[in-house]
Formats: sequence, structure tokens, C-alpha cells
Amino acid sequence: MADHDESLPDAPEYATSNIAGSEPSDDDEPLDLTHENNAKIIMLGTATDDDSCASFQFENEDHTLGNALRWIIMKNPQVEFCGYSIPHPSETKMNMRIQTYGEITAKDALIKGLADLRDLCDVVTDKFIAEKERFVAEKGN
Amino acid sequence: MQREGYVPPTAGGGAGSGSTRPGGAYGDVPRQTSMKYLCADCGKSVTLNKADPIRCKECGFRILYKERTKRMVQFEAR
Amino acid sequence: MAPSKEELERRRIVGVELERVSNVTSTDFPGHYPGEDHSWNLDDFKKNSKIDIHKANDLDYEFDLIGVDASVANAFRRILISEVPTLAIETVFVHNNTSIVQDEVLAQRLGLVPLRGDKKGFQQLRWRKKSPDEPAAEATDFNTVVMTLKVACTRNHATPNTETDPSKLYFNSSVYARDIKFAPQGRQSSWFSGAGEIRPVNPDILLAKLRPGQEIDLEIHCVLGIGQDHAKFSPVATASYRLLPSIKIKKPITGEDAEKFVNCFPKGVAEVQKDKKTGENTAVVVNPRKDTVSREVLRHDEFKGKVELGRIRDHFIFSIESTGMYNSDELFLQAVQILKKKCTDFQEKLMES
Repeated sequence: MADHDESLPDAPEYATSNIAGSEPSDDDEPLDLTHENNAKIIMLGTATDDDSCASFQFENEDHTLGNALRWIIMKNPQVEFCGYSIPHPSETKMNMRIQTYGEITAKDALIKGLADLRDLCDVVTDKFIAEKERFVAEKGN
Repeated sequence: MQREGYVPPTAGGGAGSGSTRPGGAYGDVPRQTSMKYLCADCGKSVTLNKADPIRCKECGFRILYKERTKRMVQFEAR
Repeated sequence: MAPSKEELERRRIVGVELERVSNVTSTDFPGHYPGEDHSWNLDDFKKNSKIDIHKANDLDYEFDLIGVDASVANAFRRILISEVPTLAIETVFVHNNTSIVQDEVLAQRLGLVPLRGDKKGFQQLRWRKKSPDEPAAEATDFNTVVMTLKVACTRNHATPNTETDPSKLYFNSSVYARDIKFAPQGRQSSWFSGAGEIRPVNPDILLAKLRPGQEIDLEIHCVLGIGQDHAKFSPVATASYRLLPSIKIKKPITGEDAEKFVNCFPKGVAEVQKDKKTGENTAVVVNPRKDTVSREVLRHDEFKGKVELGRIRDHFIFSIESTGMYNSDELFLQAVQILKKKCTDFQEKLMES
């Protein structure tokens, strides 16, 4: 415990170059402190033979991603059913069930849902920045 | 959170709030003949030997406090 | 086969009735209405979504987010509260504390003090603990910020005997957040220098009170964390949204009733105006945004069938109050970015497998 009292050692020099994107970004670029990809997802053993129906287990996710993803996957006309649940409140796991009409696999539907949600985020970011500029310009006059 | 045994502040050295004490284990703390206390009334530091009456040398007050341990204690801010 | 204008309007409104709410769930999914296309379309979303800023202070933002589903708006709100990383005091090393505030209580109080510093500097910092279960990594200048708090109270002999105010009788009778001093380690002195020094957002937070002879001497270690782990890491005081209220007058409300109608709402929501055709005093809704949807109008029989209350399903009035490490607008952009990163990460992992 006395060790904690000592002054901190510097991290080795390579630490900077090791972390992707540690270069300071532009002013408008939102800060990103989470560079690594620690996402964990597994397919649960309840898929049908043609993979049109499957359940996925997301680790360290909750209603935040669960509900938004469910909504955007349900917007896919090739998806028959999509729902999510958090099986136990003290386990940080989120299960998602996807059933398609058979033209695409459940995994494809999930990947499309993630891509669509990402596009949505980009649009919201662009609109927010544009609106902020408009608001500031208007206030300046 | 570790809380270790009370380490009495020595009468001779460490009058300031120096936190680093030489030697780790408290088995090797030298036997002291005098102890430092704080007067409950005037706040002055009082050094007492084994047979001394429990009394402040400045104001004569009979309630004395032990000093807080000089050992560093770690807490989680939670 | 496009739905009629009235039908679209009906779908947009969540009904608020006297004893119940109606039309609660979203129905904008393919297959819900025969012959209508509700599939996800980025161009349509670009066309139909809108952001309107109403209040833009550094720490206090209010804007309308229009055209998104509740699940998405809720994701942004939840991320703001619990997933945007900030710096907070995590460990306190007590060298000396003779104040009446116990060590553990003081440590807990310190943890809740919001900190700020150079925003670009924070980009250099890394996680010390990736999750609450993992053991903390070794402390380096990349993951730990050191601060000190060293205050001793002494008597002020210059004050007259009649003085009773402790703040004049003694020096340092109160310990404030401003007494916490930044002790840069390694490269931190270049990341957080001058005005960008790490310091409490509000210097006037009272931490403890002292009397002569009492002393506090602490070393404080701060780390990055998220609100999910502990509320002290939450970057917002509140992040919330409400749906824009809608008040529809179905049949004209005139005369004394109009006066009564206006008084059923908070100031500025409705007004009595002279009708241009009939010349009668008529109630008009001016600004439903100010309404609290208290449903007071629905309690009176004279308005039965004349007014419909509701909320607009996809019109979110977002309000973000930052605790000060980042400005509110930066926080919202970060929240959107974090949701995006979640999507990218899972997509990557799915493509690999």
C-alpha cells in the first residue's frame, strides 16, 4: 500500500503510437476515448437450418442498443420478427431474436440493421452540426 | 480498503506531518519512553513520559487526545 | 397507396385522455398497414428528420429532435447519462485528516466533485479499468491524474475578541473544491497547462470545515470512467426529453368558456382572441410547447368533445445539462458517436465470424 504513494511512472514511449487515432483530431471531431473494439457477440444455438431464424447474444449491452437495433431491424421488410430481451438483470447480456421470411439470413438482417443505425447516427450528427452553425450565425446577427 | 494497526507518532522525530516513515513493518518500531498527545482544551502538543500525570503542561487540562496515525490510508471515492 | 393526410396526422399523435393514454405504440413498420412502404430509407430520413436548437448555453442545451423513433432518442439519452466517459476522483490516499469529517465520508464527497481541464488533453488519457470487474492497470501518466489537497486551519490573531464569525477568526476554516491542486505527472504538464489545468468545475463546493489545529492532507487519484459504473462519472446533471404537446380545439370555445379554457393551461399556452368572422371572443392555442399536459381542461364538462390533448410521437424536446467537463453540444455529438461505434464494432465482429 505504501507503493501507491510513489510518483507515477511514465508509460513507455510506444504507448502513443500503439493506440489508433491518438493523434489530436480536428476541433469539430467529437472526442473519442474508446478506440478499441471490445464488442462481443455470439450466435445462440437456436438457429434454423437455413439460418433464416437465429438468436444472438450481445455482451455488455442493454436497452440502449437493444431497443434502437430492434426498431431498425423491424423496419426491414424481409424480417418477419425481431425482438430483444435482457434475460437476467444482473448479467450484462442482451439477447436478440431475428426471424426473416427466408430470403436473407438472420445474420444479414442484423448486419444491415447495424449499418442502417450507423447511417442514422451520421445523419443526426450532420444535422446537429449544421443546426448549431445556423443557430450561432443567427445569434451573431 | 486497508486499515492497519495504529502507529503511534514518535515524540522525538516527525513533529511535522511527514508521512513517509523509515522501515515498513511495525515490529521494529523502537520502544518509546515518551508519547505525544494533544490537549483537548488548548490544542497544544503534550509530551508525556511513563509516570507523568495526565495533564496538559500549558493549561492544566486533564483530557488529552491521542494523535492520529501517521500511516497513510487508502479509500475508494465511492 | 398513400394514407390520407388526416390518417397521417392521427398516427403522429399519442392521445392523452382523462383517464388513459391512447395510440401509444409506433406502427411505422413494413407490413403494419397493407400497401404502405415503411422500410428504412436513408433519403426519407434525411428529408423528414430535423433538429431545432432553442437554447444553447455551454452547460444547458435545449433542442428539438424531430422525426426519430423513441427507441433512438432514448438510446441517445441513455448514452449521455451512462456511457460518455469522464474523469472523476477514484482513490483517495489520506496522509492526515484530523477534521470532523471521517476519511471515508470525505473520500466519497470528493468523488462527486466534477472536474474539468483541457479537452484535447483528455484525448491523451486512456482507461485504467476497462470494466468494474477487471483489476486496475498500473498507474501511469496516461491513465491517472494526481491531485493533492493539503489544508491546515490556524487562528487569525488579528481579529478582535468580539468577532464570532469563524471565517474571520480562523484561516482555512472551510475547505473548498478550489483547494484541490493538480499535480501533473510525466507528459500531463504539457497536455493540461495554463487554463487547461485539471481543476474542479465549481471552485466553491464546500468539502469540509476545520478548526484551529485540524488538518487535511490527501493525495487524490482520478481516472476515466462511465456513469454505468458510478454516477460520479456521469457527464450530465440531467439529460431528458419530453414529447411536444398538442392541443386541438374541435369546436369553437367562446365567451366565458374561452376565459376558463385559457386558465386551464400554463401562461402563454392559449389566448382569448376576437374571431375575425363572428367577432366573438374565442379561445386559441398559441404555444403548446409551454403546456405541461396537466389534463385540467378534461375535468370540465363544458369542454367535453371540444378539445383533444395529445403529444406528438416523433417530436422530442431534448434537454441536456452538462456537469462541466464537456459542453452540452459536445456531449450530444459524443453520444451519437458512441452509438455509432457500437454499431461499427458489432458489425466488424459479425463480419469476422
